Amino acid sequence: MSEPMLQMMFNGLWETIVMTFVSGFFGFVVGLPTGVLLFLTRKGQILDNRPANRILSVIVNIFRSIPFIILIVWMIPFTRMLVGTSIGVLAALVPLSVGAAPFVGRMVENSLLEVPHGLIEAARAMGATPFQIVLKVLLPEALPSIINGASITLIALVGYSAMGGAVGAGGLGQIGYQYGYVGYDTVVMNTVLVLLVALVFLIQLTGQYISRKVDHRK
Amino acid sequence: MIELKNITKTFYKNNTAVHALSDVSLKVAEGEIFGVIGASGAGKSTLIRCINLLEKPTRGQIVVNGKGLTELSPRQLARERRQIGMIFQHFNLLSSRTVFENVAFPLELNHTSGDDIKKRVTELLTLVGLLDKQSDYPASLSGGQKQRVAIARTLASNPRVLLCDEATSALDPETTLSILSLLKDINRRFRITILLITHEMNVVKAICDKVAIISEGTLIEQGTVSEIFSHPRKELTRRFIASAVHFSIPEEYRQRLSQLPDGPGYPLVKLEFNGESADLPLLSNVARLFDVDNHIVSAQLEQAGTARFGVMLVKLIGTPENTQLTINYYIAHQVKAEILGYV
Repeated sequence: MSEPMLQMMFNGLWETIVMTFVSGFFGFVVGLPTGVLLFLTRKGQILDNRPANRILSVIVNIFRSIPFIILIVWMIPFTRMLVGTSIGVLAALVPLSVGAAPFVGRMVENSLLEVPHGLIEAARAMGATPFQIVLKVLLPEALPSIINGASITLIALVGYSAMGGAVGAGGLGQIGYQYGYVGYDTVVMNTVLVLLVALVFLIQLTGQYISRKVDHRK
Repeated sequence: MIELKNITKTFYKNNTAVHALSDVSLKVAEGEIFGVIGASGAGKSTLIRCINLLEKPTRGQIVVNGKGLTELSPRQLARERRQIGMIFQHFNLLSSRTVFENVAFPLELNHTSGDDIKKRVTELLTLVGLLDKQSDYPASLSGGQKQRVAIARTLASNPRVLLCDEATSALDPETTLSILSLLKDINRRFRITILLITHEMNVVKAICDKVAIISEGTLIEQGTVSEIFSHPRKELTRRFIASAVHFSIPEEYRQRLSQLPDGPGYPLVKLEFNGESADLPLLSNVARLFDVDNHIVSAQLEQAGTARFGVMLVKLIGTPENTQLTINYYIAHQVKAEILGYV
């Protein structure tokens, strides 16, 4: 492989990492509060509110059901408005974040459901406010599970960003598509695959390691 | 200190009403240990959870520390709850926090300063004897140790009242006793009023001053422990009292037991003492009066408040006439005597 090619691979990897983690971050910024609200407004929970829960749930479901490749195209006008362009890494961050947020929301909701109800009850009995319960009980207790969910989200985002590459998002996906699929260069295609696999493994293993570190349940 | 006035709680399950509590009233005076005993499903859990409004009663009033809790706003209620401690059957410690951090939890809710937290937590962990475990996580503790941490945690905010929701039900008998004596100690030392619910009469017998019996959502009987143990009025109460003593005929006797007074067999008699039984040395008396020896096979006598109760299995050695007189004598002194057979 030539030097410019290596340089391109390196750039592609970096772009993929940026897209994955930055959109993962924004996905969490929106998804974490959404997940917390989805949980708190459930029946029997501290902010039990059927209508609010229903509305939030419907919005999350709608966004989760749009195939990512369509979401990118569908969001082009909004993306242009927000970042001024519809191609490149920056543009890809918008649909990636929007795609990740509802995913994160459901995942956080599920993690919170694993927290024993007795802990919430004990905190209420001690006079904790709902905000304190979220901050001091729910999130810390669900942390190992949320971290596992975060690695699943990031891995999904690696895949999404590669998909985005096909429509001009940059990153390893675009290299793989252009040189591998269009140009039929098997060496490039396979190198891209190896790099993606390595990235996914790295995320998974790091996630598991951190999750185990913060888990004191046994 | 704690007063419940006509508490009713109705749940709706699949559109049918379930009356968990109907018209429950009780009063717990300051410094008292009050036990509510009932079988599972009798409503005792709902009752204790109504007191700090974890469960909102359908009707009725709750007054704790002179404040009507049912009238408070959520914020005021949260503040009032800090004066009402609670411990649970399954301890409910935060797995993500060390022992120290668990005890610090209620203090953090009050925005107590770091130095004060350190001082108070150290004091409390010393009280429950777990200072050396302060950096451990709950997962590495035994059940009894977990409950001690939970007790330390609930005492952190200096509550005036402590609610115990089946606090010893997940513990073995020996640990149960140590937790109960810790509760008693706390009650005496800090004059904390305790209301506990349990399904074990042994718990009531060990530490309660007063007891109420709950069945199908109503309190069927209540009074001081001595009163209830000496004059139980309801059948259910009697059964709970009986459950506090273990009675069985030893295998060796069971095999030799015959139902008829044939041959040289002496009667094997079960004597039941309750609070009404005469406070006299009855066994020595019958020996003197009727020349009958009481051969004690097994005995379990206990004291609850001022009431003494228990069962004793004796072989009465004497002539048939005299053993009959002995049995009559016991019955006349309010000891339930029953011939189980002859050995």
